[in-house]
Parts: sequence; C-alpha cells; structure tokens
Amino acid sequence: MKLNYMIGIGNYSMFDDSIALKLVEHICENNLDNNFQAVDLSGNSMNLLTYLNESTGRILLVDTADMDMAPGEFKTFVPEDVRSEKELSNITSHEGDILKVLALAKKTGHYIPDILIMGIQPEIIKPEFGLSETLLKKFNSYVEKILSIMNS
Amino acid sequence: MKKDINIDVHHLTRVEGHGNIVVNVKNGTIEKCEWQVPEAPRFFEAMVRGRHYTEVQRITSRICGICSIGHTLAAVKAVEDACGIQITKQTEKLRRIIKHAENFDSHVLHIGVLVAPDLLGAPSVFPLVETHGEVVKIVLRLKRLGHEWGSLLAGRSTHPTTCVPGGFSKLPTKEDLISLKEKILAHVNDINALVEVVSSLASKIPAFDRPTEYMAVSNDIEYGMYAGNTVQTIMPDGTKQMYDVHDYKSITNEFMDPKSTSKWCKNKMDSYAAGALARFNNNYDQLYPQAKKIAEALGMKPVTCNPFLNSAAQLVECAHSVYETLDLIDELIAEGIKEESVVKPTKFGQGTSAVDVPRGILFHDYTFDNDGFCISGNCIIPTGQNHANIQKDFEALVPVLLEQNKTEEEMELALSMLVRAYDPCISCSTHYLKVKFVR
Repeated sequence: MKLNYMIGIGNYSMFDDSIALKLVEHICENNLDNNFQAVDLSGNSMNLLTYLNESTGRILLVDTADMDMAPGEFKTFVPEDVRSEKELSNITSHEGDILKVLALAKKTGHYIPDILIMGIQPEIIKPEFGLSETLLKKFNSYVEKILSIMNS
Repeated sequence: MKKDINIDVHHLTRVEGHGNIVVNVKNGTIEKCEWQVPEAPRFFEAMVRGRHYTEVQRITSRICGICSIGHTLAAVKAVEDACGIQITKQTEKLRRIIKHAENFDSHVLHIGVLVAPDLLGAPSVFPLVETHGEVVKIVLRLKRLGHEWGSLLAGRSTHPTTCVPGGFSKLPTKEDLISLKEKILAHVNDINALVEVVSSLASKIPAFDRPTEYMAVSNDIEYGMYAGNTVQTIMPDGTKQMYDVHDYKSITNEFMDPKSTSKWCKNKMDSYAAGALARFNNNYDQLYPQAKKIAEALGMKPVTCNPFLNSAAQLVECAHSVYETLDLIDELIAEGIKEESVVKPTKFGQGTSAVDVPRGILFHDYTFDNDGFCISGNCIIPTGQNHANIQKDFEALVPVLLEQNKTEEEMELALSMLVRAYDPCISCSTHYLKVKFVR
C-alpha cells in the first residue's frame, strides 16, 4: 500500500516561518495522522527527494509562502500553478526552495507522486520561537484543511 | 600591468546565508579586500535560558537544518558534563554513527551540488543534469542515503528526536542496524564513482597554499568528530598542541570585526581554520585505510595548506564515515543492543563540549541552577571560527591573482570558489516560498 505524506517545511526558530512544523507537531501529538505520515522536513528541503518514489501515494507540502495575500490566509496549489520568485543562491542544502528541489527531481528522472502545496502567508518572520497572533488564531483552520485534504 | 578591479559580490551564491565579497584595486594597488558578513544575530543563547536540561538539545538543534545532529550532540554532551552524567559505550557508539551520517550527508551535498558546478564550469547544479546527469544522480542517491542513515538512529536526521541527555529515548533494533549496513554497502559503488569524478577534476582545484593554524576535535578514540573532551591545533610546521575543551574561550578568543555582524576567532596566529581540512591535518593517522587511499590519490597529506582542498578533505571523510560506521554496526550487532535507561543527573552545574560537525568545531557551554534549569548558554559555531581565516586567505590570494593578471571575472570566481570551499553556513535562513501565480 502506498504511503501519503504531509510534509512541513520551515525554520522553527524564525517565528511564523515555523507554522508548518508546528502543524506537524500538533498532528503527531494528537494522533491525527492515522492514514498518513506527518513529517517535519524543517529547512532541509533536499530531503524531500527521499519521499519521491513509487511507494508514495501523494504529498501535501505545507510551507509559509509570500503570495501577496493577507497575513494568515492560505491557498492550496500544485507546483505547476506558480513560478518561484525567491532570489536564491541557486539550490543549497538548507536555504531551501522546495519548488527548485522539485524541478531538480523532475530533471533527474525522480518519480513524482501527486503533490499539492499549501502556502500560508506569514505575518512576522524574525529570529524568535513562537507564532504571530494572526497565525495562532487561524491554527485550527489550517489543521482542518490539512486533515480534509489528507483524509479525502 | 597596473589596472583597476572592482568586485562587489552582494550575497554570494551557493553558500548558506548572506556573505559579501568586496575587492577594489586602483591602478594596481589594493584599496579594499574584504569578506563581509551582514547577517543578523539569532540569540539562541537567550532562548535556552530558563529551560530545563532535558529541553536544551531540542532548542539548539534548531540553530541549523544541516548540522542539527551536531548541535544536538554538542548540547547533550555539554548537558551531561554539567549534570555529571556518564553515558554508556553503546550510547557513544550510536552517537558516533549518527555523527557520521550528518557529515556524510552534508559533505555529499556540498561536493556534488555546491562545488561541482565550479569545477565543471556551470553556474549551478541544474545545467549539470544535461551535461553530467549520471553524476548528479549519484550525488542525489548518496544524499538520500545520508538522510536515511541519520533518520534510522536519530528518529529523523534533521532535528533529531531520540538523542537525549543520558542516552537514547528509542534504541534501534538489530534488524535496523542490519538494514542500515545493507543500505550503506549498496551505495559503495556510488561512493567510488564520486571519488573517481572528483579525482578526475582535481586539476581544476586552484593551487594556492596559505599556511595557517588548524583546529579540530582530537582524541585517542576516533578520528575526531564526537568523542572525548579535547581539541587540538596543528601549525603549518606540524607542531601539535592539545587543549581541554573547558578552556575553549582561551583558544577561540572571539572578537568583533567591523566587516562582520558575526564574531571572529583566533588562537596563536591571526586566524585559524576549522572543518574537514583541519580535521584531516590534525587526525590523519586515524583515518581508515580506504580514506587514506583517496587522500593519496588526490595528492593530499598533512599538513595540507590549500583551503580549496577542504572539499577534497570532505570526500576523504565521506569514505572514512562509511567504513567506520560499518565497523561500529558490526560491533553493536556482535555485542547485542541492550535496553538501557537514560542515565540521570548526579549534580547540576556548568558543562562544556566540543563536537566536530561538517564545517568545523561546535563549542557548547551551559550552566544550570540547582533545579536543572539553564542559567546561561554559549555556542560558538564553525563558520564564525573560519571568518578571520577567509579574510586572511583573501588578503593572500588577491595579490597572487593580480600577479597572474587575472580578469575581474576570473578573480571574482576564484574568491567565490574560495569561500564556497569552506562550506560556510553563515546562517540558517528562513525558507518561505515567494511565488507568483501563473495560471
């Protein structure tokens, strides 16, 4: 049987950039991951390659995303829907852009399962543990959305 | 020929974090030659204050997404030192295996994704898929091995969960170890292939020697990475000196430089180097024969003073990590994995540790109150230790490049390659996406 994954990406010590990792934590601590596996990928985006194989059914990638939306708003999309506008030093081991990792995976012939991205617009990114009030208020709605996707 | 050169690399590519290269030459005279680090501080030492001794490693592991095993190990070692905890031999062996996993994982990615484009004349790894597709695939397979190697024992390789003060919260089974051994053995051909690729490109590594002081974890137990409480320096003439890790402040001598928001370090000379080449120079005799063979093929022996060869030293270490891990697994299987409780504190006080991570030595230092809550913390990271050495390399390399009548573009590439050779992790940046919807 194929495994489905909800993969959180972010930096735990950079405030709102940690939202996806806190969602993974919440889902695991409350045993909400009954028919999927929740993974904290943190910033090591290249490790996504481990999950790109034929034993994977589908992947929901959750990450903060600057999408010109109001802070706390979220949107789900497939990688083909967007173009990365992040100025990056190409691809590095932990300054990650998951879209570039996916592009590299495709170019190198990796098996690409169904992938959906859930982008959450951050409010504050700063070197501190925690989340902004705006994201905290919407935390449960993020959990509900993730579970509705993973349980569908 | 007296000429003008203006290099202003703002946000150097293929390194972690934000660093600038600025070189101004007017009429053949060097007016400015700087390695600048403008990253903001991140205040992790403040974040651990008030936290229980059992929580510290979970917080500091978040300093870095690549060296999170190293930060975890450095934290638990320092906590155990502060709390009078003596770990078992089994714990030490398991920790050494996960330390190898981290170094292997990071080194493979650095060599294959960040350095290879320079040696193969490409701006990034993406064009290499077309021209050297099989090499890229080998690198990605080995990267995956590194991830699985660490995850199996550490719970997960990024921000590990099982490694706690006093031992492990979850131990691997004999079957886990056998599975890991099989996985590693299945990739030996890939490792050999990567060695062949790098060896074939060795002539493209710039020839540039600048003798400096090299500092690394060093002990009688292993090629210095995790074990023991001593660090060693080796001078260009081969003279070695061993230091107790508790004296780390007197050998790192942190100081501020106007060019940098990060603290710089020095010991006996104006700067010192940490990282794979420093470990190679200090601990060469303890390398596995398979690793020494690669070093010989690359023409390396201690004391190697070409900073560009740090990446080659990483390759040597990859082989060492593979073969030592295989031996450690065999030992653990032969001895049998014993269910061991986490060792409890016998006191609360101050403790210090040193662990050698991919980019060099991590020093961690914590003090706890009588109830086991952290009063103060101090972390000195490898890239901070290397900044002064990179600056000194710049000051030596720029005149050489001018003497060789290099163009501005050639000089920029050489200086960028030099910084990349150190594999600097200037900060762990944020990772958010910035996207524009196209449909």
